[in-house]
Amino acid sequence: MASEEASHLYEAFVGQDPAKAIQVVERVRSSGVPQSQLFDTLYVPAMSLLGGAWAEGLIDEIVFTQASVVAEQIGSFVMPPVARPDTGVTVVIGSIHRDRHSVMKDVVASALKEAGFRVNDLGVDVRAADFLERLEETGSRIVIVFAEILATARAVSGVRDLLTAENREDVVLLVAGGPFAADPGLARAVGANGVIASAESALKVLGRVRDDILAGGAS
Amino acid sequence: MAEKKSGGKKPAAKKPAAKKAAAAPVAPVEHVPMRNPDFPVGVDYYPLDEERRSWSDWYDRDPEPDFAAMAASRISDVRVFVSWRCLETQVGQYDEDAMERLERIVEAARAHDLKLIVCFFADDRLAEMNEVPWGKRRDSRTDDYLIQRELSLVQKIVNRYRAEPVIKAWDLGNEAFCSGFETETALEKWVTELREAVREVDPDRPVLLGVDPETLLRETGVDPRGAIDLTERAWSHLTAPYRAYIAEGPVTSGPATYTDSFLLRAALRDLPVVVDGIGVHALEFSAAEEAAYVRTALYSALMNRASGAMLRRWRDLETEKREPYFRDPFEVLVGVVDVTGAPKPVLNEVKRFAAVAARLDPRRYALAPERAAVVIPAERYESLPSLAGLYDPRACLQAYIAAKEAHVPVTVAREGDELGGYHALYLPSPAKLTPAMWADLSAFVQGGGSVVLSYGGGDVDPALREIFGVEFNGDAGPRHAFACRVAQPGVLGDLRSFDARMDLPHYGLVTASGAMVVATDATGSPLLTVNQYGQGKAVFIATPVERAIAQNDPWATPTPVRHLLRTVYGTVASAAGAGAMLECDTPEAEIAHFLGEDDDILLILSHNAEKMTATLTTPRTVATVQDVRGGAPAEVGGKTFCVPLGPNGVAALRVKFG
Amino acid sequence: MTPTRSSQVLVAEDLARRGQLPAAVAACYEALAVNDRDPFVHALLGHLMLEGDFYDEAIAASTQAIELDPDCSPAYLALGLAYDRRGGMWDQSVLVWHELAEVVPDLVTAHVQLGEAFAAAAFEEEAVDSWRRALELDPKEARAHYNLAIAALKREGMSTALPTIRKAGELDPSQDELFFALLGLPAERLEFDVAKVKPEAEARLFAAGMLLRAEDFFGASDLVRLVLDEDPANAEALALAAYAYLKQEAANEAMACALRALTYSPDLPTALYTLGVVYSRFPGLAKHAARVFIALAKAAPQHSLTHVLLAESLLGLQRYGQAKQAYRAAVRLDPACVRARFGLAAVRLTEGGYAEAQWEMRRAAYYDTRRQGNFWRLYDAYAEGGDS
Repeated sequence: MASEEASHLYEAFVGQDPAKAIQVVERVRSSGVPQSQLFDTLYVPAMSLLGGAWAEGLIDEIVFTQASVVAEQIGSFVMPPVARPDTGVTVVIGSIHRDRHSVMKDVVASALKEAGFRVNDLGVDVRAADFLERLEETGSRIVIVFAEILATARAVSGVRDLLTAENREDVVLLVAGGPFAADPGLARAVGANGVIASAESALKVLGRVRDDILAGGAS
Repeated sequence: MAEKKSGGKKPAAKKPAAKKAAAAPVAPVEHVPMRNPDFPVGVDYYPLDEERRSWSDWYDRDPEPDFAAMAASRISDVRVFVSWRCLETQVGQYDEDAMERLERIVEAARAHDLKLIVCFFADDRLAEMNEVPWGKRRDSRTDDYLIQRELSLVQKIVNRYRAEPVIKAWDLGNEAFCSGFETETALEKWVTELREAVREVDPDRPVLLGVDPETLLRETGVDPRGAIDLTERAWSHLTAPYRAYIAEGPVTSGPATYTDSFLLRAALRDLPVVVDGIGVHALEFSAAEEAAYVRTALYSALMNRASGAMLRRWRDLETEKREPYFRDPFEVLVGVVDVTGAPKPVLNEVKRFAAVAARLDPRRYALAPERAAVVIPAERYESLPSLAGLYDPRACLQAYIAAKEAHVPVTVAREGDELGGYHALYLPSPAKLTPAMWADLSAFVQGGGSVVLSYGGGDVDPALREIFGVEFNGDAGPRHAFACRVAQPGVLGDLRSFDARMDLPHYGLVTASGAMVVATDATGSPLLTVNQYGQGKAVFIATPVERAIAQNDPWATPTPVRHLLRTVYGTVASAAGAGAMLECDTPEAEIAHFLGEDDDILLILSHNAEKMTATLTTPRTVATVQDVRGGAPAEVGGKTFCVPLGPNGVAALRVKFG
Repeated sequence: MTPTRSSQVLVAEDLARRGQLPAAVAACYEALAVNDRDPFVHALLGHLMLEGDFYDEAIAASTQAIELDPDCSPAYLALGLAYDRRGGMWDQSVLVWHELAEVVPDLVTAHVQLGEAFAAAAFEEEAVDSWRRALELDPKEARAHYNLAIAALKREGMSTALPTIRKAGELDPSQDELFFALLGLPAERLEFDVAKVKPEAEARLFAAGMLLRAEDFFGASDLVRLVLDEDPANAEALALAAYAYLKQEAANEAMACALRALTYSPDLPTALYTLGVVYSRFPGLAKHAARVFIALAKAAPQHSLTHVLLAESLLGLQRYGQAKQAYRAAVRLDPACVRARFGLAAVRLTEGGYAEAQWEMRRAAYYDTRRQGNFWRLYDAYAEGGDS
């Protein structure tokens, strides 16, 4: 079935018929092939057939070029989705009050956005009350607080204290930055639920937190 | 904290059966001192902690809280710095207020059972301690009048505290101050006069000179060994400029993690050596990197025969803030507590280290003797245009690392030293050796010692043929690739053929005239030969491999090249009876083996910033392995056990054989 | 007035040009014995000390040269590079590069180095301006692109930085060199007559490869066509055709030919390379690119760039840890690989490893500036008494 449709797609390329090519793609898609699989199951074999036809001299250089233009035109129909699906999970992040370090925060924020998290970046020098306010506003239950110097890292306890005072013990407080990497005990001391050591660890930890939250039925 | 992760973990026995075995009964609680008096940990306590302060603010603060925190962190010694400028405001007139400040420090030390090392003449590039306004810009190191005033100051202070038990030692001057001397003679004269001034008043307390023999030589061209020998204690430390010269790169991996102990080994001659200046040199490092580096340096000191360790600075210097971290050419910025006085993660490392060191009672445990040495050639002391003084320390550091990677208990010696105590010597890439050294080598090898010599370029001494059994046919010049073809497998360990991309500055063309060719280059020109000479073995490497590692990228040395060097070093040492007492499969795990009567202690230090597991194999069956700080011993019942190590982690294990 | 050089200086200079460091240093000292106020000798010594990685000595000698003649541009170059390679001397470095950029405005390196010195001193905006100025002078200046990518990473994350890293990589001639190395072409360029190429597939493909390297796409295509006419299933010919299309920005033709080649020879490195490069141009094909580059790194593990390409595709998948391993493999094979160094720096930044990231970038600059050989250009211009 797939190889047959790939032949049809190839024929549409060579026939310079983008409408027919789109019909082939839609037909295959409606047969149950997911978007993420269309490229491999349909487009790749069709392109291989096209290359083979050119190599064998079945089509000349001009037809090859024109067919490639058609292939390019319908490329967007078969491309796997670029953005990862929205996780539905909102994360509030920022550097703690009196800390103006932003590099790690920006890198982690970007990675989380790319992975489909809804990131609310409050920037640098963020007070505990501002974290809480944004959590309330967005309904988020995850906050990542960044601190690169020891004094500000210790001040993250103020965020936990405020969350406790406001009966928001359901909020997952994650911390990131050099002092926490050096001393995991510090994260416990400030009342954090976990440490983010890198952008990749942010993705892993948030993935787990997301699963827990979804399992709990709330966002 | 990373150390807790690694060092705190119980070693896993390799055999599953052993893993399942029930823990042996917990040993009875023994009294362990808070600190090890034979290996004190100290810290430099600088007079100013804020850049905006002026010279007149010298120790104008209550030291009590700081000293209390030091004592709580198991710190024993504190070095304080005298300000001549504050004390002798006018010629012969000593400022009582300044004297009071010094007294306040002494009282605080007394209150917290800390020992003070008083440094008379120091430059911290901030407190202007020696810039006496009446000195009229004369050189305080060489001007007779100023030296007389210095003697008076020294005697005044020593006299005041000669019966004071908290004073542990008198430090005549730190390296920043001593770097102003231009000749050995001037330095030795100054040290002699000051030492005699101290001795007139205080005949007992040790006098020391706070300079490292290698770093000061590099900085100034002045060899301070003669001056150091006039004192009773030697110090060793890594300075920022020396680090930029010897191992410029990441501080938690590669050569940088061996540099402190290399300098310590180079400073160890006749006097006990304290490693000072432990800490990073700039604030660009994260708290985790600071902690990892300090952990490495502290354990390196303990594992390599230091008599103590001193941290670079107590409190961070408060300066202008700039993101992401500010930086400054000063090298005494970084402390173990932050600008507010709150402890940094590095202080936890210090505390944990002191707890481990306290378990190492030198009356019960002795470090396994080093019978192998890297030899610093005499040419190292030549000045430009000879490049030996620039190349050799780097090559020697790489040789030292290779020996450590082979787990050979190794030290550093110098050409001209007595060689009788060694069984194996490494001579890394010297351009030349003195005739006397060739004679010594001949006698050494004939007497049963083993030598590894790598070709350093240029002509060679005729003795090469006699001792190493090779005929030298000239220098083939530089190469851009390193090829090795093994001709005789197994003769010098598990060598493997390889082709690596690496610049070699020279390649000595030799033919065997008695030696066995163990490996060649790609076209059959001998690379590695071994010659039986008398009762010993002489191994020749036809290219300056240690220099090449240093002059290429020592953090990216091709794996097979490192393997070649450590295999040759390790095999030669083992055959000569100078090898490791136990085997370890992980080159980056440094091992110090402390031998005891009932049990041994192993310190295992990772020189890698990634997690790893070291597998150790001992010649005897290991009954149990236990963290030296306590906990249940793990039964092993075999000769092999695994030790998990965190990034730059340490394991301190008590091993019982049975 | 044109500065003149003594015969002793000429001897030292000759030895220095031939890379004979110890002899050149000795000759410099002989020249100094004759005239210790000759800026040429001090400049040469500065360069030689820099070549030996003896930074403090290089700084001392270059400073001396500048003191003797404030117009001694090669000494500024050596001084700035010594500051940068030594590290921790950014304030001084900024001044030197600023000066040199004014004296020799077309010296692209001065702007790149100035940017790096600014960045190390945390003056990000000034740094970006400097790199942009470098790109105005030379749009292909890879290190300026890489630095801009790192600057983008710091502000906006990997998704913004990665396209710039890739763009810089494609401008970097070493990527094309990888293809020809995978093809098995000798490093040296051979002259040959197309008309005399033997009528055998192997000879034709070799010749086609040589023509491709010379960017003679039509000549190469004719030869490939001859091979395919005889054997349409010749995978190597199809891979060559794919590469030729890729170089002519015909990505779909390239994809078609590469995919066809891989149906005949699934591990063919040249086809894997071309397909991987095509895939990596489409953000949606990040996984596909990674799959192809994993296969390429396995098929040709001895080439550092195969690991770099794999690492970059892993960055696109947010697998930073695996990317770090691949980059490290690349650096082990070739410590001078600027692209791998910057990639490692990017990965280290995602881990908060600021100091190590800085070091990787400094290492990249180290190898890049060593390769450029700008000292002799400035030195010769200085000797001639004119601008470079």
